Amino acid sequence: MELRPVSMDRPLPLQAAADLQDNLLMVANDLDRLQTLLADACDGLLCGFCVTTGELRALPAADGPAGDAVARAISRLSDSVIALQFQDMATQLIAHTQQRLRHCTDRIAHDAMADDGDDDYLVTEAPSRPNPVTQDEMDAGSVDLF
Amino acid sequence: MHSILAVDDSASMRQMVSFTLRNAGFDVVEAVDGEDAFDKARQRPFDLVLTDQNMPRLDGISLTRRLRETDNFKTTPILILTTESSEQMKQAGRSAGATGWLVKPFNPAKLIEVIRKVVR
Repeated sequence: MELRPVSMDRPLPLQAAADLQDNLLMVANDLDRLQTLLADACDGLLCGFCVTTGELRALPAADGPAGDAVARAISRLSDSVIALQFQDMATQLIAHTQQRLRHCTDRIAHDAMADDGDDDYLVTEAPSRPNPVTQDEMDAGSVDLF
Repeated sequence: MHSILAVDDSASMRQMVSFTLRNAGFDVVEAVDGEDAFDKARQRPFDLVLTDQNMPRLDGISLTRRLRETDNFKTTPILILTTESSEQMKQAGRSAGATGWLVKPFNPAKLIEVIRKVVR
């Protein structure tokens, strides 16, 4: 890939601004699809999780190895609730990233058209706070009682 | 049976929280955001409120503040379950009157343990 220097004191040429905007919008669209895929996957996993746990709990109580195996299976399923929360966290990350992308896209358009004297171009606000999801892995979070 | 108002704008989180609480023997009413929760809380008392923080219309800290102003919820335990882990947010929750701050993802056994500890 060829890298070219960009002068920061010149306005972005209109064509370059449009290209950049297109690329950012494509990323935003891809994130939308990722969001849909994650929601769909999570729905399937949750449905399987709830049905299986319900069926295991409904089994008649059994002594010995069979009873132990059912208890272990229920316990492992219960532990998987921690990992199943990935969709909620991913959704927040994606929403935050999309707002930042929208801000960049609007800002590029606004700045590129600054010479047109069009001050009415609305720019989406950048997120006012850092991304709320700072976790790097799906470990259970902390508990603070006041 | 203790009743819990579970508030989260994420359908999957509501499902997991409700599933966990019902399996532990609690009666659960779900709300999709802070406004919905406040409407439901005006209709009947609950033994505990478990709420997300970042939600459309009304967030968890604002919901806590509004609930604390109503007679039925002056002393009801309110737990905030959120991805937010900053000290600043925790302190804001505490100042609003929250009983505790739990960071997602939650561990089902730990969540039940905490709820049993604070619910009357």
